[in-house]
Amino acid sequence: MSQYVFQQIINGLALGSLYALVAIGFSMIYGIVRLINFAHGDLVMIGAFTTLALVGYGVPWPLILMFVLLVGALAGMTIEATVFRPMRGAQQVTGFIATLAVSIVIQNTGLMILSGQPRNFLFPAFMRQRVQIGTVSASLTDLTIIGLTVVLIALLLVIVYRTRLGTAMRATADNLAAARLMGIAVNRTILTAFAIGSALAAAAGLLWGGKFGQIDPLLGFAPGLKAFIACVIGGVGSIGGAMLGGYLLGLAEVLFVGLLPPQFAGYRDVFVFTLLIVILLLKPSGLFVRHVEERA
Amino acid sequence: MAVQMLEVHDLHVFRGATHVLKGISLDVREGEMAALIGANGAGKSTTLQTLSGLLRPRSGTAVFRGTSGPVDLTRAAPERIVGEGLVQSPEGRQIFQSLSVAENLAMGAYLRTDRNEVRRTLERVHDLFPILKERASAAGGTLSGGEQMMLAIGRALLAQPRLLLLDEPSLGLAPQMIERIFDVIATLKQQGTTILLVEQNAAMALDIADRAYVLENGVITLSGTGPELAGNDRVRRAYLGMAQ
Ligand SMILES: Nc1ncnc2c1ncn2[C@@H]1O[C@H](COP(=O)(O)OP(=O)(O)OP(=O)(O)O)[C@@H](O)[C@H]1O
Ligand SMILES: [Mg+2]
Repeated sequence: MSQYVFQQIINGLALGSLYALVAIGFSMIYGIVRLINFAHGDLVMIGAFTTLALVGYGVPWPLILMFVLLVGALAGMTIEATVFRPMRGAQQVTGFIATLAVSIVIQNTGLMILSGQPRNFLFPAFMRQRVQIGTVSASLTDLTIIGLTVVLIALLLVIVYRTRLGTAMRATADNLAAARLMGIAVNRTILTAFAIGSALAAAAGLLWGGKFGQIDPLLGFAPGLKAFIACVIGGVGSIGGAMLGGYLLGLAEVLFVGLLPPQFAGYRDVFVFTLLIVILLLKPSGLFVRHVEERA
Repeated sequence: MAVQMLEVHDLHVFRGATHVLKGISLDVREGEMAALIGANGAGKSTTLQTLSGLLRPRSGTAVFRGTSGPVDLTRAAPERIVGEGLVQSPEGRQIFQSLSVAENLAMGAYLRTDRNEVRRTLERVHDLFPILKERASAAGGTLSGGEQMMLAIGRALLAQPRLLLLDEPSLGLAPQMIERIFDVIATLKQQGTTILLVEQNAAMALDIADRAYVLENGVITLSGTGPELAGNDRVRRAYLGMAQ
């Protein structure tokens, strides 16, 4: 494999990892409360700035990661408990508008406190070196993003599919009324879904800053939108679908730019959205959702 | 005098602007099977949802004798009500379609902490419905309607009910399957579970119930023992499909 193609694939996997991390949480939240949460991307921004602040205090990186996960979880839980919970049972469009409002509040609070000036965001110098693998090489930053994402996703899958709380979360997403009849405190399982999903988005913020080198209070918009698209591609409400949709989207974006003549590079979103439309036309329920026939 | 397991007095429940339950009173005694029969839309499911804490009454009282003492069902959270031993198998089965059969049953035991006892209950449920053991890893949504009903009852049993509310267990099932389910319900009663059975299939319900209530448009219009109601002219005409 040529270095160029290899580099593009690693690049695509790294970008896909970021999309997948954000998309999984987006999907979990939709799955459990049927809410298209447009504030979800702003957790990425919160994660990125939390990282920046802690770096400034000289906190060691493993601790920073723990802290960012915690801050993300707390922020997600706060939003759910104060804004979304009181609206439970209201019309879907009410919730949708509320998520937009939360997003705007977070972004503008960010602008007020931090100003719109982009800040440099630096991983330690050694992270910028390249790792030689046989005849090809990759940046350590990209490899770290990919590796850490795999670890976080594995952890998430264990929680969701192998623990009592995770099963209760899936039960709540499957049938809320029945879950309540089983004695599941659904407010708690919903809160957990927000905590986990938001923690993953915040972790994506840490990595996002490292990959792109600059952050600003409005940076959450792009990952939020891409996560939404990844979910639609993969099948809304499915964790596996969101993950695969995220990777597919990341790879597709990078490959469009990398393999097409340079004059098309500026139009990569055109290709991405064309891909989205084609997928929706061919398979409206998403690529990775096997439609389970429900019996009455 | 028999101990009251459930006492409901003058319960009024609204759904939106609709006054659905207009002051119903009923009671269920320890160890008995009571039935609540009535036509479509009479308010039977509304009654059960209120007892499980999913709906809040406008006024009236509902007290359940739980494991740790009297529970005010008009205020207690659903999870507390389940924990105290009032468990419902809802209308339309409502199993978790995407969870496996084993996970569905585990969710029934969600609040229980003694693993050995849970395992014993699970064995009992597997004895009652061997198919649930055979298909333990199948997704709930892939079961047949009858199997789903067994799963719904099994799931409720895993919560260790002192009082089991059953909302139309015969709904949508073939006659053979209905008989099988009713056999199981009779067995549960013999084993000491107190049951409140909601049915449109009045003939079968009156046949196995000790006592029954007739609910019409949110009002209880008749009550009595199973045989009394089965012999009542009005019941025979309206619910048992018999000419006078
Ligand atoms: N979610 C709801 N919102 C508003 N009204 C409702 C709702 N569910 C039921 N109702 C109304 O409440 C009344 C009682 O309904 P309920 O489901 O309790 O009847 P039921 O006796 O269980 O009937 P069925 O035998 O068809 O199950 C009906 O008039 C129904 O239209
Ligand atoms: Mg009903």
